[in-house]
Amino acid sequence: MAAKETYNYRVVRQFAIMTVVWGTVGMLVGVIIAAQMAWPALNFEIPWLTFGRLRPLHTNAVIFAFGGSALFATSLYVVQRTCQVRLISDRLAAFVFWGWQLVILSAVITLPLGITSSKEYAELEWPIDILITIVWVAYAVLFFGTIARRKTPHIYVANWFFGAFIITVAVLHVVNSAAYPVSLWKSYSVYAGVQDAMVQWWYGHNAVGFFLTAGFLGIMYYFVPKQAERPVYSYRLSVVHFWALIFTYIWAGPHHLHYTALPDWVQSLGMVFSLILLAPSWGGMINGIMTLSGAWEKLRSDPILRFLIVSVSFYGMSTFEGPMMAIKTVNALSHYTDWTIAHVHAGALGWVALISIGAMYFLIPKLFNRPLYSMKLVELHFWISTIGIVLYISAMWVAGIMQGLMWGASSADGLLTYSNFSDTTKASWPFYIVRLLGGLAFLAGMLVMCYNIFKTLRGAKAPEGTADARIANATAS
Amino acid sequence: MLLGHVWGLFTNPEKEWKNIRKENCSVGKCYCSHILLLAAIPPVSLFIGSTTFGWQLGDSPTTGFPTSFALKISILYYITILVGIFSVGALIRWMSKTYDADAGLPLSVGLAAYTATPLLLVGIMGLFQILWLYLVIGLPALAYSVYLLYTGVPIMMDIPKEKGFLFSSAVLGVGLIVLIAVMAATAILWGTDLLGLTPEYIDK
Repeated sequence: MAAKETYNYRVVRQFAIMTVVWGTVGMLVGVIIAAQMAWPALNFEIPWLTFGRLRPLHTNAVIFAFGGSALFATSLYVVQRTCQVRLISDRLAAFVFWGWQLVILSAVITLPLGITSSKEYAELEWPIDILITIVWVAYAVLFFGTIARRKTPHIYVANWFFGAFIITVAVLHVVNSAAYPVSLWKSYSVYAGVQDAMVQWWYGHNAVGFFLTAGFLGIMYYFVPKQAERPVYSYRLSVVHFWALIFTYIWAGPHHLHYTALPDWVQSLGMVFSLILLAPSWGGMINGIMTLSGAWEKLRSDPILRFLIVSVSFYGMSTFEGPMMAIKTVNALSHYTDWTIAHVHAGALGWVALISIGAMYFLIPKLFNRPLYSMKLVELHFWISTIGIVLYISAMWVAGIMQGLMWGASSADGLLTYSNFSDTTKASWPFYIVRLLGGLAFLAGMLVMCYNIFKTLRGAKAPEGTADARIANATAS
Repeated sequence: MLLGHVWGLFTNPEKEWKNIRKENCSVGKCYCSHILLLAAIPPVSLFIGSTTFGWQLGDSPTTGFPTSFALKISILYYITILVGIFSVGALIRWMSKTYDADAGLPLSVGLAAYTATPLLLVGIMGLFQILWLYLVIGLPALAYSVYLLYTGVPIMMDIPKEKGFLFSSAVLGVGLIVLIAVMAATAILWGTDLLGLTPEYIDK
């Protein structure tokens, strides 16, 4: 069959497989550093195994390698299906895939070597930053070019979210990574002092807002109605939710810098915009939950739906928690404690990872044109990952609040009650072990997924030209 | 009967949920016979534990609360639990229409209250302020509460199990949100000294 009459599933298949692979690798690194928090001797005094080098490897691997691959796979699938047209260029698609893998590989090599710009979530040095920019522009051309050639009159809301994610991440990356190179592997930010901090957290928070939220909402708006076999509960709400999110998120960054050298009014501005964010967050959650609510009969036979339901619940919970923690008074207690770690992982494991996993379980059978090897294993994966998240979050909540209280505790004569930092470390120790157990459970779930997908793929035929890859004519997909 | 259903919820939860539904108790009666008493376990234990035994963290000396401060937070803790259970109950009632259950307020509050039973019982750990013990005993209690929720919702709301799973997940989400709201409110009270609630400590 001619390529023109089918969708380009090749690039989607590649990214879908790498989502599972990088997810497992990134979470394994997470488990290793969680173990090091409990038993520091586990770095064996080898420089590239130290926490300081592995931590950015963990965050880059789970956000950009795992989350990134999931976003590439789903956005390139959704844009073709909803525009009813093949990607504009197979070569460009292949370039985006191999380019992004090269970025990840460079991160895997440079970060353990200690090569870092020291900007959180933007640690990669300037040559890799340039490569990211080139790949990202190619991705934008591929995505928007396909939208421009669409056969449907309407641009489905999921594509709006993906589009916003692509544009904003490009702007964030270029502005925040602007630097003076002093050698091939060392550069200094063009911003100085508090401006540098503000630009960094404008980037940092919007990496969460646009990479980890807007992009994944794109996933939600396609895969939740698809798996539930029902239309979106309220299309109008989805559009309102989109614009509210786009206008508000970009202002919330200063809440990462409460009680620092940042001007007080900027901190307050960040806090107020963070609180306004409650509205679009909940708009998204209500839309997701209400779409799923009508699909209850399907639950009996469909464990994939469970991933989607729980992910939307965690989205609602963590986007409620975020604005609360952005309130200055709450932040005075919570900042620099493990409460922040609990919050991040409620969003990262509960929302981002679960919805990606659900989307992959939906996609892979379709892309490879065969049923999943075992639905029982999908169900097993669901339960161990949910238990893992609960263990992780509850341990870090208790540890975080305890740390905040201990650091603030003083006696009547004004002396610090816990003047040794080691007091807090010692008190946190049992919670670090529970956190490790939670992380291990989540990783075990990923290994179950790897096995399930591996068994599914063995002997799979390439479906290019099979009925499912054929471009739809009149019906919307 | 006072605390009549507690034992049954541990030995045969499904049967006990059916009994609770059959009883169709009013909100007032549910509070008097069950919640008021059980909800007192965590604050009373906290009061006794923090004023008599105190706690020891790291290498620092044992610390506790002065009696006046412990009394203030214990009373607020009690009120928070009572209001928290009622709020979750009211939210269950509000959501029940979405899941075609349309339960009344008494059943909804009852569901919230009996689900919380294991968590309220382990509040006894407040007597011994040992943090890791909270996790070792608290996590199974939390797990059992979640189990009670998932078994209780389909029975109390009289809906199919699959629909109950969705409803229970929504209740769990709402419960977590109420919990975070309490955490944030507590942090604000501690930080602003609004009701004289900035923690005070004394050596034991």
